[in-house]
Amino acid sequence: MTERVAITGIGVVSPIGIGAWEFAAALKRGQSGARRISAFDCEGLATQIAAEVDDSGFDAGAWVDPPKMVKHMSRSARFAVAAAAMARREAGLNGHDVDPYRIAISLGAGGMGPVDMDLLTGQARAAIASARDRTDDELDVPAFSREFRARTNPISMLRGLPNLAAAHVAIQQNARGPNNTITTACSAGTQAIGEGLRAIQRGDADVVIAGGTDAMINPVGVLGFSMLGTLSQQNDDPEHASRPFDARRDGFVIGEGAGIVVLERESVARARGARVLAELAGYGCTCDAYRITDERPDAEAAVRAIQLCLADADASADDVEYINAHGTGTQMNDITETTAVRTAFGGKPLPPMSSTKSMIGHLLAAAGAVELAATVLGMTDRFLPPTINFEVPDPACELDCVANVARPARIDAALSNSFGFGGQNACLMIRRW
Amino acid sequence: MREIVSQVLMVPPASVKPESRLYDLGAESIDYLDLIFRIEEAVGKKVPVSRWESFVRERLPGANLADAITVAFITEFAESERARV
Repeated sequence: MTERVAITGIGVVSPIGIGAWEFAAALKRGQSGARRISAFDCEGLATQIAAEVDDSGFDAGAWVDPPKMVKHMSRSARFAVAAAAMARREAGLNGHDVDPYRIAISLGAGGMGPVDMDLLTGQARAAIASARDRTDDELDVPAFSREFRARTNPISMLRGLPNLAAAHVAIQQNARGPNNTITTACSAGTQAIGEGLRAIQRGDADVVIAGGTDAMINPVGVLGFSMLGTLSQQNDDPEHASRPFDARRDGFVIGEGAGIVVLERESVARARGARVLAELAGYGCTCDAYRITDERPDAEAAVRAIQLCLADADASADDVEYINAHGTGTQMNDITETTAVRTAFGGKPLPPMSSTKSMIGHLLAAAGAVELAATVLGMTDRFLPPTINFEVPDPACELDCVANVARPARIDAALSNSFGFGGQNACLMIRRW
Repeated sequence: MREIVSQVLMVPPASVKPESRLYDLGAESIDYLDLIFRIEEAVGKKVPVSRWESFVRERLPGANLADAITVAFITEFAESERARV
């Protein structure tokens, strides 16, 4: 029999709590992290709300050595490094427990355009300066280059590389095994954890620090998703804007943060007497190969991802007692996801399926990882996280979505779904150890 | 310059002494790009990295740079850039 893979530690940086247990307590309370955006002046934008990580409660420097490493990190790298350190501490995994070359990193990361306000401001200032003597609106590239060069600290370029968050985690954790970054948009965190499971199964590593991180609450990130028509515009009532499966949903709320789990080969976890939180039992992954953002109306490829995940875990739909939905709160996702799960379960009654995005927003490349963390925490702490803001049922999403209040429950197996632009479908299964 | 070094390497100003070696303060090669960028800002003119490299080559031929580059040395470079017309 193949060895199982244990989840032995969880680290979370989220809009509703820093650290796994603070996060779990907030999920149980049904707390919303959505507010008016404070990261930049959002006046005039169609969407002026997001679920931000509260900087007054988060100090990346506390998790980083030497301290100067912090300035080389993007906001998303800071989240990842902190969450990884928390997860490692939670796992009680010391330097002498495992060969550093047997510790891998598998991280979902994202980003589009300038990764932070510094870079965006640098580009804008250079563009303004280069246009000063011009009468047309063409970009004078040599002038722009000169101004950009003069105004931009070269080290800021490194913050934009997608693999650097995983590299920083490796530096801080002395993890010298395979170091992979998965950039599959909104399913990246789930796929990174699934690929971490595979890295252990195929023998490339004994421990994988796996998860996802993202920080897109900057003008380009918010405008970008807003222009694509995916964001809620309920600016007057941020805490109630994210309403997955509710008939009045109007898009998602951008969140930010990181979720990291420590995955460990069964024999290694046993040998050191680790406390195991759950088994990472299965992973399935497909692509729609259909449209850029539209999902297959019959959800065929998403169905297959769920079925592959169940088969990988040697489980059947009957075993699943809870599903953490992708549940973005866009019109299309919630309908297609309901169809997908219904079809994958072959007409059997569905277990409760809730969307934690109702509380933390959509953490994009980090979403699946933070949601798996929520699922494991629910299993260990014996509750199902609620879908808050659920008021008006949508006949197209007929589900028990654990409406508004967390529910006490002892579950033995659960799924977590993620779907991303580009037709990415991914599903993970956990089981009580 | 000690203040700049303290900011770039995020170490307490008191730990930055003229004889401190940048390597011991935690500097890696990328941090020199940051230092030179901030020297540019301080002296108010462009400072090509190539000039830092030739400054090092001329003053410290064959030296182990981890040992040889001190706060005093980079201050000397900044002063020479400030004086340059």
